[in-house]
Formats: sequence, structure tokens, C-alpha cells
Amino acid sequence: MDMSESDRHGEGPLTGHELKDIKDAADLYQSGSFKLQIDALLPNVRPKESARQQLDRFLLSLRNHILSLPSITPQNPLTAAQTLAKQGVAVPFVHPLPSRDDKWKVAFEPPMEINIVGSWGNGIAVKKKNGGRFGVDLSVEMPHSLFQEKDYLDGRFFHKKSYYLAVLAQSISISFDVDTLYASPLGDPRLTTLNNNVADILAGSTSHDFSKSHADIYIIPILPSPNPLPPAKLSPSHSNVRIPSVLPSPSPIYNNAVLLSTYPKLALLSTHQLKHSSPAFHDAHTLLRVWANQRGYGDGELCVKGFEAKGSFWTGLLRLLVSGEEPVATKSGNAKLRRPLGKGLSSYQLFKAALDFLAKQKFGETPAFTKTVDGHKYPPEEYIAHHPAVFVDRTSTINFLSDVPLTSLDLLSHDAKETLEQLNNPGTSDDMFAECFLKSERGLFTRFDAVIGQVNLILTECILLTFCRVDLPQATLNQSALAVVEHGSPDAALLASVASILRRGLGDRTKAIAILQPGTPFRPISSAQSPSTSTVHIGLIYDLAHAFRLVDHGPSAENQDSSVAEEFRHLWGNRAELRRFKDGRIAESVVWEVATSDERAHIPVSIIRHLLQLHFGISAEHVRTLQTSFDSMLRLPDDVRRLHRAAGGYKAAVTAFDDIVRSLKALDEQLPLALLNVSPISEYLRYTSTFAPLPVPASTLMALPESLRFLPTIPIILEFEKSSKWPDDLKAIQKVKLAFFESIARSLMASKPGLKASVAIGDSSNPFQGLATLEIFTAEGWSFSASIWHDREATLLDRIIGSSKTLAPSDQEHSVREQREAKAARELYTRTFIHSPRHHRAITNLCHKYSAYSGTVRLVKRWLAVHWLLRSHVSEEAIEIICARPFVGGKQASTEDAATVPHSKERGFALVIEFLGDWKWEEPLFIPLYEDNTPAPAPEIVAVSAKQGVWTLSTAEDRTGRMWTSYGPDYVSAHRLRALAKEAIKIIQDAETDSDVKRLFSHSTDDYDVVIELNSAVLPRYYQNVNANSSVWSRSSHSGVVESTPRPGFDPLPLFLADLQSTFADTLKFFADPFGGDRIGAIWLPDLKVPRPFRALAGFSSEPLPKEDKAKDKELVVLNRQSVLDDIERLGSGLIKNIVTR
Amino acid sequence: MPILPKSLSGFTVIPIAYSRSTHYIYARAHVTSKSKASKPVNVLHEARTLFIVNVPPDATERELALLFKHCGTVERVLFDFNSADNTLVENAPDSDEEMCEDADAEEADTGTDAEARPRKKRKIHTSEPTPPEVISLPNQSLRILHKTGSCAHLIFLDASSLAKALSPSVSSKPLPWPSSEEPRGLSHYLAKYDAERPPLDTIRVHADSYMERFEFDLAKSKQEAKYRKGEAVVDEDGFTLVTRGGAYGQTLGGGVGVASKKFMLTGKTGSRKRKEKKQEKETFYAFQKAEKQRKGELKFFVVRMSVYGCVAILDLKRNFEADKQRVEKLKESRRFKPY
Repeated sequence: MDMSESDRHGEGPLTGHELKDIKDAADLYQSGSFKLQIDALLPNVRPKESARQQLDRFLLSLRNHILSLPSITPQNPLTAAQTLAKQGVAVPFVHPLPSRDDKWKVAFEPPMEINIVGSWGNGIAVKKKNGGRFGVDLSVEMPHSLFQEKDYLDGRFFHKKSYYLAVLAQSISISFDVDTLYASPLGDPRLTTLNNNVADILAGSTSHDFSKSHADIYIIPILPSPNPLPPAKLSPSHSNVRIPSVLPSPSPIYNNAVLLSTYPKLALLSTHQLKHSSPAFHDAHTLLRVWANQRGYGDGELCVKGFEAKGSFWTGLLRLLVSGEEPVATKSGNAKLRRPLGKGLSSYQLFKAALDFLAKQKFGETPAFTKTVDGHKYPPEEYIAHHPAVFVDRTSTINFLSDVPLTSLDLLSHDAKETLEQLNNPGTSDDMFAECFLKSERGLFTRFDAVIGQVNLILTECILLTFCRVDLPQATLNQSALAVVEHGSPDAALLASVASILRRGLGDRTKAIAILQPGTPFRPISSAQSPSTSTVHIGLIYDLAHAFRLVDHGPSAENQDSSVAEEFRHLWGNRAELRRFKDGRIAESVVWEVATSDERAHIPVSIIRHLLQLHFGISAEHVRTLQTSFDSMLRLPDDVRRLHRAAGGYKAAVTAFDDIVRSLKALDEQLPLALLNVSPISEYLRYTSTFAPLPVPASTLMALPESLRFLPTIPIILEFEKSSKWPDDLKAIQKVKLAFFESIARSLMASKPGLKASVAIGDSSNPFQGLATLEIFTAEGWSFSASIWHDREATLLDRIIGSSKTLAPSDQEHSVREQREAKAARELYTRTFIHSPRHHRAITNLCHKYSAYSGTVRLVKRWLAVHWLLRSHVSEEAIEIICARPFVGGKQASTEDAATVPHSKERGFALVIEFLGDWKWEEPLFIPLYEDNTPAPAPEIVAVSAKQGVWTLSTAEDRTGRMWTSYGPDYVSAHRLRALAKEAIKIIQDAETDSDVKRLFSHSTDDYDVVIELNSAVLPRYYQNVNANSSVWSRSSHSGVVESTPRPGFDPLPLFLADLQSTFADTLKFFADPFGGDRIGAIWLPDLKVPRPFRALAGFSSEPLPKEDKAKDKELVVLNRQSVLDDIERLGSGLIKNIVTR
Repeated sequence: MPILPKSLSGFTVIPIAYSRSTHYIYARAHVTSKSKASKPVNVLHEARTLFIVNVPPDATERELALLFKHCGTVERVLFDFNSADNTLVENAPDSDEEMCEDADAEEADTGTDAEARPRKKRKIHTSEPTPPEVISLPNQSLRILHKTGSCAHLIFLDASSLAKALSPSVSSKPLPWPSSEEPRGLSHYLAKYDAERPPLDTIRVHADSYMERFEFDLAKSKQEAKYRKGEAVVDEDGFTLVTRGGAYGQTLGGGVGVASKKFMLTGKTGSRKRKEKKQEKETFYAFQKAEKQRKGELKFFVVRMSVYGCVAILDLKRNFEADKQRVEKLKESRRFKPY
């Protein structure tokens, strides 16, 4: 490639221009390729010039039409509405609705001016998500004559505007071949606009076909300038809505909504100026919008509450950065003013500056005022006092955030932080650009630690109304009526209140609470009211330090009577109680009782349940999460736990391990060599086994039915002091180990009554491999199996392996077979004694560092097991390494509280599954599992054949990355895994109910040629099956043969599977669930499908083909499938119930 | 049902009735290949050995014997004899053979000539006590699974049985597959689990006896080694045994040593690095000196040029172009459509 490059471009000197470009790309952008990618992205999200003509033609005729409309004389609003209603057009009046007695009148006169405003007007439109069309905003300036000074009161201005809009709607809908619809962003009728578009069906057939431009035209009636309404009356502190018998209170949102009608033209001009003074503005704006759209700040299926139709927010944001802040004289002084950014910044720098601002700015605490032309119009204190979040525009009259809940701003800031983290540490993710702009971050489960699906608000609304009726004091009712008026609609009022209560209730437990709701749909002009947004989704991002706190402290008892305590009690209701704490304080507090660690992880969600129930009457069963259904995947059925009668758990296992180490060390005098070290190498001791370890004492074990008897053995490694007494011969070393085991077993049994120890000699045809272990079965019911690490073995094995290299085959000391065996033994040695303990330590560290890691691994293992891939195809260690990826990042070790780190196992699981679906395992993967900060060299790429494992998982300790993946998954199973993960991620995305989780963890057997059904009653591990049927063990409990010796660790399924796998390696491929699976699936290997000539060493069971054609002398045989199945049935007699073929 | 061929590439097809299907075993008289014939231990007698292909994976010796009972008595069955030459010894169950193997291993280690061995051995045996016996671990008869479609050698007691087995018209009906008493399936795994955990006493006896034997062998070979160190081993015909190994071409085991292969190839022993002497001084004459200096300067100049100028810029450009190409490629894959 290099050659052709230099050929094409010549070796000649670079021009200065070229050089500058290249240098700029590297200096002003993330990197040269980042710049190129940005350049490639931008044209794709902007409107195409070619389609503009049609649109312009339509806009022109629309303009002429509107300007030539006849006037309508002033009349009572309801009478006027009736006239329109006869023509099928409703007037979208706002709360409070006009009445017959109103003195004021509505009228229509052709507008003074029509302009194209907004992003289209400035030529900075950005494509919307999910094929949404570009929005072309058309401002229609209503004439002065329609308004009176008092129109700012009680929604009169909005009524007049609505009527104006309805008249336009009526006339356009009959004059043009376009769909005319009302659009009320955020469900707020005050912001209603008229949407004109060409429906896809009509496209091409109408005279005004502008479908090619892919645009919607929004008609926005605006106030003429100068403003006929007195601006002074619209400051945030003014109360402009009156409801009888309620004290007037400021109506900042209402006021802001009125002022928005003056905004479009001003914004057009100031954005135009900005675009020309700052050359990078256009590109930066596009990048910012793409970034925001990918994260749901905008329109679409599930968008963050408050950001619908907030295009001006993003331009305003960049304007603030470029032009700086207006000084605010506060008590703290105005020292911390943001300095305007230079105009020479590149688009990327500006984009990054915007993210930086969003990440750091807390609009709720520190207000932001954009630099104005001639100072503040309204006192800044008024904004601060009356708006929860303040971001005031250049005009100094508009607060962009008046109707955006603080929760959404928290989320915005969190997202900005996350992206900044990625951009600032190049290498944390593999493909930064894609993460930032190309990947949709809208997946609920991959984005949030906890997801509460579909909280139904229709219900609450009824309750809101009924609860007004029942026993609430009148004031509260009117208060809520006022809130409805202030927020524009009952939904908006309710959501605002939900958001603020949840935010207060969860406090520092969460970094962000996301309230997501579908974008408000357009509605036909015959309906006045915006359809109610029935459901919302709530997503939580935990702050790990506080999320699972057991007690919420309130104010102490000393200031009992103050309003703080009152507020606290109001927030928590009957959960709030006065408590005396250990340090003697007496304080208001809320205590969350938990019994298990699972329940502890549910505290934030149960807080939400409690608050929604208390304040909004939403009963707990309507607040659904999938946490418990995920939990149940990792728990044994209740009756199994009852029968086992044991309290297991990782802590207990670690204690049992420590006990064993202590009693082994106590044997010191009785052993010929001192015991130096005992290393655990088991998933049960590193918190990553799907099921928590469980002790079952021998007596209980024997009383259990066969299908409950499985007791895992926990492997450990013994390391003795070095000694020269070991024989220098591999076979003899194994025998010495046996002798060691024997003496340890004897003395251990003598020292600990109730403990049983035996020596398992293992079964290996390989004389160099020492498979012998010491099996210890404690009185409490823990089972360990210990092996001895002797480092001399490695040297001896290497000597055998290395001996052949320089010698000719004729005078080899060791036969080929011996060498093969030595190699296998060496591999096993390296894996068991060198890498396993290291891996164990690294994983244990991860579990301590990231609380969600353990649960993530357990869920992923369960998922893989259920899909018949774990263990026989994907090793558990490999999965543990892959699961570390969302936590430790792609290349550099990240910190615990990095924004990207998941804090719940559900999110970790979703992220890992998503990764497994997207991962191109043709390329090696590096995971910084070990805590060393040395820059890692690129992992070596090892050529692999399709028969071996195809994954390369490189770590600092294992550069080649084949330690845990050399045997699998092979090409077939890796593909299968990828397909399954893709399927799973689809299910996760729209998971709502428990049955979705069940579906995620259920495996379809349609793909298998053969399914071997096993007799579940004889499988000791059956109780772990995901669909375990309790009748199996309750039925067989008495029929089982009572035997005297327990068999810890005995599980025939993997043994049988391994036998099948090795016996029929070239005929079939087998799959099974290691956790209590009662079926084995198999597929015929494709290369045996056709008849082939007979060979003596063919390696498959064949049957001769009947000779049809005498002329052919080739004697063909074909795979004898039925006889293979009969072989299998014979091999598995006692285990197999039935073999089903497809 | 179409008639199946009675024979295939010289193999007789023997159908076997399974519960739901017919399994096919292919049989042929064993033919010793040229290379194998010369092997010292040739257990396969050509006249009475049947070579069978596609043995059922769980077949035991007893089952095959039962299958061919109608042809005559089966003396021995050897599984997978062809796959690896040593399997025979490996699979032999009795302890005598195991000892044989151990002894063989010792022999291999010392590397003495096979022909010289018996005489020496006899001599030692007469002068020294007999080696202690290794008491093996209890060996329960468990099935050993073979790969599907593998082969076996069946040695009949009598040569006439071979012909009988190969005659195609043995019977029109397929023979049923016999069954021996070794457990299968679940009971096999249970038995295996128990068999792998023998009583502690047996383990101690086994380990102790093995180590005793090992010590004995070690002592023996040490003695031999000391006795014969550096001494030439000359056999009856007057040939001197030459072996490879050891430092300085000496072997501990005896015989005359020659240098290692590595030494022969490179002329270097071990890892010691000898400084290589320069063949000729490069700057002996004045003109040489001047030339060298000039060259050096020139080189230096070029290096300076490239470091600060061309190379850096060219690298920059090359990287940029590479990036460009990469992005073009991504563009083609329609990646830059974010949604």
C-alpha cells in the first residue's frame, strides 16, 4: 500500500497548503483520522441542496396564500371556535379555557410578515433521529391590531394565538394538498405550531410535492415587534394567571412561554451573526446536535424529558461559549466569569468546549447568563429565585431551561462527562469516533443501572383528580390547578413534580435520573387537546458511593419544629421516623431494611416505589423493574434451598477456605516439607460462579434426592518449600505427590474429626500429567480438591519438548508421542499452576473494586450456559476476562467512578452482551486486567485454524491471548454466540416484563439436528436448571437408592459430554447447558454429508452405499447416522431418556 | 432394501444388528507392512490376525471375542494399533507389562544398544538382588472409549478361524452386538468416580513400592554410570559404541562421547561467546582512514537531513494518506450514516 501511495502522490515536496492541512488536522482535532471522519460525517446529516427548489416553490405559494387571506372580524373566542368547529377545525385553547363571559375578542388579519426562521433559516439544520424530517420553521407575524395590553394575563395571548393558528390551519388544509397537523412539543398547548408535510402516500401526485427535501414545515405565529404586551409584566416574578381563591404566585414558565413568541426573529439574526463571526460554529453545531440526538435529547421514541423541540438551546449554548457571560452581581461577586472562547477554534474544539461546559455546569446551582447587547432586561435574581434551572439567552428574556427538569440536566451533564472521558483518554475505547457520534446510546439497559419500565401516568391522573375530590384541603386542589396552568398541561405538571420529588428522594444516591418519554405525536387539526403521554420510563445512574446506603439521615431533633423537618416528613411520609444513632444523635431518618445483598441492590428502586406510591398513588406493582427477574436467574428455587438446609455464600466459602489453610498449616510437623502457600483458583472463591457456593454435610447430602446432590468441589493449589529431595523424573514426581497426598489425608483426618479426605488419582493416559488431587470434604460440607505445584516439572517437561529441535529424528531421545504428551502436560501445567492463580487474584481484585462486576459475570455465565455454550465451548476464565471490559475499558485502566462503569449487574450484563454481538473477534482484544501501567504492545496475532478457538484475549500476563481460548470457541460456536448475542440485545432493548427476561434465558433447540434428552432424575445438578421442575426431586426423593458414600463434585453430564465430544469429534458437534442441563444438542458436521470413497482410517462410522452403477468402480460409503445415534444411546445408557432427530 | 455389497475394497462387510439400525464392520486379513515386519516385537501373526475397521466406540475385548465366537476362539484384541506404535504396551493391563515398560524407559534413558543389552542384563541380574516389585493400583475393568470409526486387530487362536470370519456368506442375518459385563453410561461414570478414589492404604503401598523400585533403578544406573564413565563400550564384534551428549563430548552413561550436534554445526560449545577477532585493521593506511572519515561525514549529513526534514514530513504525509484511505473504506461501508 505504501508503495502505491508514494507512486500516486509522487515523492515531490509537499505544498505548503497540504502541509498546513495535515498539521491542522493533528493539532486542532483529536487526530488526523478523527478530522477525516468528521468530514465524512457532516454531509450525511445535512439537507441536500438539490431538493431545495421544490420546497422553496411551495413556501412561496404558501406565503402568498397566507398574505392574501381575508380578515375575520373580532368575536367572542367560543363563538369563533364554534364557527371553526363546523369546518372541522378545533382551536387548541390552553388552560384556563376561555369562557362565554369574556370581554375580549379573537380576530384574524393577514400577517405583517412571514419569515423562514430557526435552523433552516440559518442553514444549520441537522437531520433528526429515526428518519425524522428536517423542520422548516415559518414565523408568521401577527399584526398589532389583534392585541391589547392586557393580553399577557390569563392566557389571553395564547387563546388569540391559538385562534390565529386554527384559522391558518383551516385555510391551508383546504387550499393545499398537504397534511396539516397540530404539533405541541412537550405536550404544551402554548407551544402549539402547525405542521405541514407531504405524506408518503401523496408524494409525487400533488402539485406541491416537496417530499424530496424531506422536510416538515412548522408555522409559528409570533408577536410583532415592538412587543404589544408590556415586557415588564413578563418578568419571572410576575404572576399573570389568576385562579379564584388562590393567592397569586409567580408564573415563570407561563411568562417564558409568552416571551418565546418574540424570540424566533431575534434568534435568527443573532445566530446569523454568530455563524458569520465564528467560522467553526456551523460544524460544531452539527456535531453537537448529532451527539445529542444519539443520546435522546431531541425527538424520537424515547427522549429525555424537556428537550423536545429545544433546537434553540444548542445554538444558545454555543453562543454562550463564543460570546461569553453577562456579569451577574451576586453576593459572591462576579469573579468566576466564563471567558469567551476564541473565534479561531476548530469545530472539534468548540464541540469539546460545549461538552466541557455541559459536564461542569450545574444550571440548577450556578445560573448561566449569555452576554447581552445592552445589559440585563430582568433582574438576574428573579430568574434564580423562580426557575429551578437558569440558562438565559442573549436577549436576556428567554430562559431555555424553564420547563426542563433538573433530572434531565443531571443526565446531560453525565453524558457529557462520559464522552469527554473518552475523548480525553484516547484509547479507552476502541473506536472513539463511533462511540461519540455513530453509536446510538439510547438502549435503556446499556445506559442505565436501573430501569423502571412504563410507569403508567393515566392511572395517576385519575388518582390526581380523585384525590382532589376525596379529602384533600381545597388549597391543595387549587394549588394543583395552578400547577397545571403554569406547566401548560396536567401531564407536564405531574412529570415536573415527579421529577423533583424523585430527585429529592434519591439525592446523592444517583448521578442522574432520566425521565424518558416518547416524543409528542402530531395530532389532526380537528382535536384541540394534545394526546396525553401515557407512560414514561425512568432510568437511574447510580453513584456507587451512596446508592446502596441503608439509612437516609434527615435533620436532627434539635431543630424539630423547623420547616426542614416538616419537609423531610412530608417527603417520606410514614417511613420517616425519629431515631437515636450510635453516636447519640437523635435525628429524623428513613431506614431501608434489607435481608440479602440482592435486596440491598434494590434500595434505589424501592425508594422510587415508595415515593411514587406516597405522592402520586401509583401502586408498587405498576412500578416494574426487571431486577428481580434477573436475580432469579442466579438463585436456586426456594424449595431447593430449603432442602439443602444450608446457608452458603461467597463469604462462607472464603472462611471455609481459610479454615482449611489453617488446618493444613497446622500439620507442619507431620509433613516432610513445609507448606508455603495455598492459592485458591476457583470461581467459587472469587465471587464469579453463577451460583453462590453451598456447603452440604455428608449426612444431609445422602438424604437428598439424586437430582439435588451436586456439590461443587473447589480447586486449590498447595505450594511446598523447595527441596532437593524430589526425584528428577516426571513419573516419579507424580508418585511422590501421591505419597504426599496420602500422608496429608491421614493427618488431616486425624486432626479434624468429621473431615473426610481422599486421594483422587485422576484418569489420564498421559504419564507426564499429574491429575491426582487431594479431596477434602469438611464436616460443614465444603468440598475442596488440592493439587501440588512443583516447579521442577516445568523444567523437566521443557527438556523433553526442547530436545528434538536440534536433533535429527533418527537419534531422538524421546519419541514423537512422548513429546506430544509432554507438550500437553506443559500446557496444563502452565494453565493450572502459573496462570490460574494470577487470574484468580486479578479477578478477585476486580470484584472488590467494582461492585457490579461479580453480578455481571454471573449473569453472563448463566446466559452462556443456558445457550449451551459455557464450558464446553467458552471457558469460564475467558468470560471473566471479557466481562471486565465495560469496567476497565479498552486499553487503559480507568477509575472506579468513571462515568462509563456500570454500577448494576443488569447494565453490566447488557453491555457485555452488546459487546459480544458487535465484537469482531477476528481482531485480538486487549483487556487491562492486571494493574500495571506499562503501555501494552499490540497483541501478537496468532494464525488460528477454524478448528481451534478463534478468540484472542490478550492481557498483560498473557500476551498471545490464547491461554483461555485455545480450545474454544471455534469458528462455528463463535458465530453462533455472536448471533445469539445479537438476538439477545434486541430482546433486552424492549424488555418490559419478566417474560422477556425468561425469553432471554431460554434456548431454542430448532437449530440442532439431534437433541438428546436426558433423564433429569439422575442428574445431580438438575436443580440448577433454569427451568427446573420441582416435581423431579419431590418425586424421586424416596425411590433413589440410598448409598453410603457421598460423591462431592460428581456430575455425569460433563463427563458424558466430553466422552461424546472426543469419540465423535469428526462426526458431530455437541452443545449442552453445564448448569443442570437435561438436554444435549448436536449438529452433524457438514463435510460428512456426501458419500465418499471407503478408507480404512476414515474416522467415522459408515455404511456402504448400494452399488447402482457397475461402471463406477469407486466404492462409496456414507455416514451411518442411525448407528451413530445407537452408539450414543448405548454410551449413555441410564442417562439418556430419548433421542430426537430432526 | 437394496442389496449391499458383500465386500468393499478388499474388506468383507459384516453387518451388525443394533437396536434400531445396522452397524457395519469391515474386516480383512491383516497384512504386515514392510517397515513393521522388521520390528523386534511383532505380535501380529499374519496368518491368524483379522484387521477390522469401524469398531463400535465402546467395544471391549470381550465383546469382540463374543462377536466372532462362531469363527473360533479369539486370543487377543488390540485396539488402535496403527495410530501410534507404542499404544500396545500402553494399553496392556497387567503389571508385568507395566514393569516392562518401566524397564524399557530406563533403557531408553541410558541409551545403550539393544543388542548389547541382554548379556549385560543377565550378568547384573545374577550379581544383584532382584528389583522390588511395584504394586499397582487396583484396576477395575472399565470401558475405554475409542474414537468412532476406529480399527482393531483381532488375533485368533487358530488360523482357520480367520478364513471363517472373512467368508462373506457367514449368515444372511446380521449378527447382534453382544454385551459384556463392564458398566455403561451412568453406572460407568459412577464406577469410574469410585475407582479413581482408591483407599488410602492402596495408594500408600503403590507409591511406596514405586519409589522403592525407582530408587533401586536409580541406584543401579548410578552404579553403572560410575563404573563405566569414560570407558569405551566395545561389543563382541569389536565395534565401539559412540553416543552423543554431555559437556566436552563425555557421557555419564558410558561409551565414547562425541560432541553435541550444536557444536558440530556451529563450532561453538555452550553459550560462551568468544570475541571474534577482527580480520584486518580497517584504517591501517592513510587513504583508508580518509575514506572512512569521508563516508562517516556523508552519512551523518544524510541522517541529519532525514531526521529533521524529509522523513518527518513524509511520515506525516504517509500517515495522513493512510488515514484517508481508511476513512474512505469506512465510508464505502456506509458507516457514516449515524441514523
